[in-house]
Amino acid sequence: MDVLANFSAGLATVLQPETLMYCFIGVFLGTFIGVLPGVGSMAAIAMILPLSFYLEPTVAIVMIAGVYYGAEYGGSIASILMNIPGTPSSSITCIDGYPMARQGRAGVALFVTSIASFGGGMIGMIVMAVLSPSLARLALQFGPAEYFAVIFLGLIAASAVSNGGALRGIAMVVAGLMLSTVGIDLTTGDLRFTLGVPELRDGVHLVIVAMGLFGVGELITSIRANREGRGRQEIDYAKFYPSAREWRASWGPIWRGGLIGSFFGALPGTGQTVASAVGYAVEKKVSKNKDQFGKGAVEGVAVPESANNSATQTAFIPTLTLGVPGSASMAMVIGALMIHGITPGPRILTEHTELFWGLVASFLVGNVLLLILNIPLIGLWVRLLQIPYRLMYPAIIVLICIGVYSLNNNVFDIWMTLLFGVAGYLMRLYRFEPAPLLIGFVLGPMMEEQLRRALLLSRGDPMVFLERPISGGLLAISALILIYGLWVTLRPRRNITTDDTSIIQNNKPSSNTGASS
Amino acid sequence: MMGISSNKIMQDTGHRAGVKDILIRLSGAGLLLALGLYFMIGGLNLGLGSPFRPGTGAFPFFSALLLMGLALGILWQDLQQDGLADRPDWISFLAIGAALSVFALVTERFGLLPAVFLTVLTASAPDRSLPWWGKAALGLFMAGLSYVLFIEALGLPFKAIRGI
Repeated sequence: MDVLANFSAGLATVLQPETLMYCFIGVFLGTFIGVLPGVGSMAAIAMILPLSFYLEPTVAIVMIAGVYYGAEYGGSIASILMNIPGTPSSSITCIDGYPMARQGRAGVALFVTSIASFGGGMIGMIVMAVLSPSLARLALQFGPAEYFAVIFLGLIAASAVSNGGALRGIAMVVAGLMLSTVGIDLTTGDLRFTLGVPELRDGVHLVIVAMGLFGVGELITSIRANREGRGRQEIDYAKFYPSAREWRASWGPIWRGGLIGSFFGALPGTGQTVASAVGYAVEKKVSKNKDQFGKGAVEGVAVPESANNSATQTAFIPTLTLGVPGSASMAMVIGALMIHGITPGPRILTEHTELFWGLVASFLVGNVLLLILNIPLIGLWVRLLQIPYRLMYPAIIVLICIGVYSLNNNVFDIWMTLLFGVAGYLMRLYRFEPAPLLIGFVLGPMMEEQLRRALLLSRGDPMVFLERPISGGLLAISALILIYGLWVTLRPRRNITTDDTSIIQNNKPSSNTGASS
Repeated sequence: MMGISSNKIMQDTGHRAGVKDILIRLSGAGLLLALGLYFMIGGLNLGLGSPFRPGTGAFPFFSALLLMGLALGILWQDLQQDGLADRPDWISFLAIGAALSVFALVTERFGLLPAVFLTVLTASAPDRSLPWWGKAALGLFMAGLSYVLFIEALGLPFKAIRGI
């Protein structure tokens, strides 16, 4: 009953005209930015983050959440129509979505995507509302050692199973941890790695890192992809509404995808990509229509979309209740909360009840808005994709510049964004994912603080991390994930067949935004 | 499925790596090693403290040490690879870099609108499919949109044009 009462109070918060308006703006802008090929949810959140500083924390977080799932949905539109997934999680939708589009069923694929996203989102929201209070109660028993262990688990999970392999993923996390030490050491007050630059005393701003690595880095990559002609395909939009058979075929996958997605979304580090992939694999096993998978099966669109959106909602569970983001996008959410003076963790449910339940209720409102907005606007998004990219990217670069400059009205931030943009581009070139770096960057200060506290309380005994059951258990799980990740990276590869190569080439994301973006 | 490297595909399709490809590939791990070295020395200078009370430099020092170990592993991994390395797209790289630089240089001296106009011109400069008047029109449109959206609607404290 508590859950229902709190949810009702949250709904009342979201239905305030101002919150509702910003929820709508978030969903609309998220979809708009997400539709643009090569610009994923990370870049979308980074672009909107400076604007959120001027808003009340609840309104800001509701808008950012709207941008997040709006962009995830928008990314699917580009996947289906152009076969350019902005994120790895969207690449699963390409497998059946793009063949559907080529068969003149693009409208049906987009319609099913909207319905499946809504269904998955609702399942994810219910799971979040029910599970979060219990997890928060458990987390109240955590001490510094447990917090260190849970952060460690989040970092390992986010990096060890990343696309570039375990070594590359962990290296990026560690680089992020190091980068987070730039600025004043909050414990001692000493300056670290500021190079005598006064602007670096407060460290590097999260928006600058995200805009550079994801915004600028992705932009450079996607200009090339678009110049080379990927994505300009002739699509027939003749059919819009699903047939009765397609409706019937979609319900089961939406349910199954929603449940699978809500499970994987709540685990730090796995996120939407694993949720979509597992959902697709399970559906392919249980479907009566197995042989149509990969050739334009409507189930093959419904299940990854439902799983993806469900995981998008449940990813907020560890983010808010433990303060440990499972993905780079969630790391941005944590950063946004901290900028507003709110520290995510188990106390968020008691100290910021309105914010937490307002956010949960905003998933309902936001997903309804997404549905209302996108069913009639499918035609608009389709036309948006017809705008040549050469007109798009100068506009995007202007938005990035203004967004960064608005942080402090200081051009130093633009130079730093350029630096991180170059780093982001080089990382893509060298097959390093930027997402783990951002997660390490956000979690670095928390990890260092908890490590110091735990050592101080145990009088310098490192065994404290292994002797306490929760901490020891979490570190053991981390070790298992690490070993698995290293085994996958270093084991001898099987020979690649022609079929594999064609699948890779057909479904290669336009930019490597990370397994967990 | 997505984790199979393009290098491996190249290898299977018969393309062989040259010295340049090997150098490009190894330079990624090399940059990580250099970054690790910088933070390691910096951490040492800041002081490591004791296990009971870790110093300011302890966390960056041990992180850097770990990064250098990982970079060596990546270096070894990349040495095993064959095939062509991904080449940088210098045109896009320079255009976007120059566009950001133009914004940084112009906005404080001349104001937001000239900065936006010139940023658009710079970013779209290498694109030969768009005529000069098309680029200018896009620049003017973006400058106008920025004024309406950021200065008028959101009230951000930007100067539209300096001196006016």
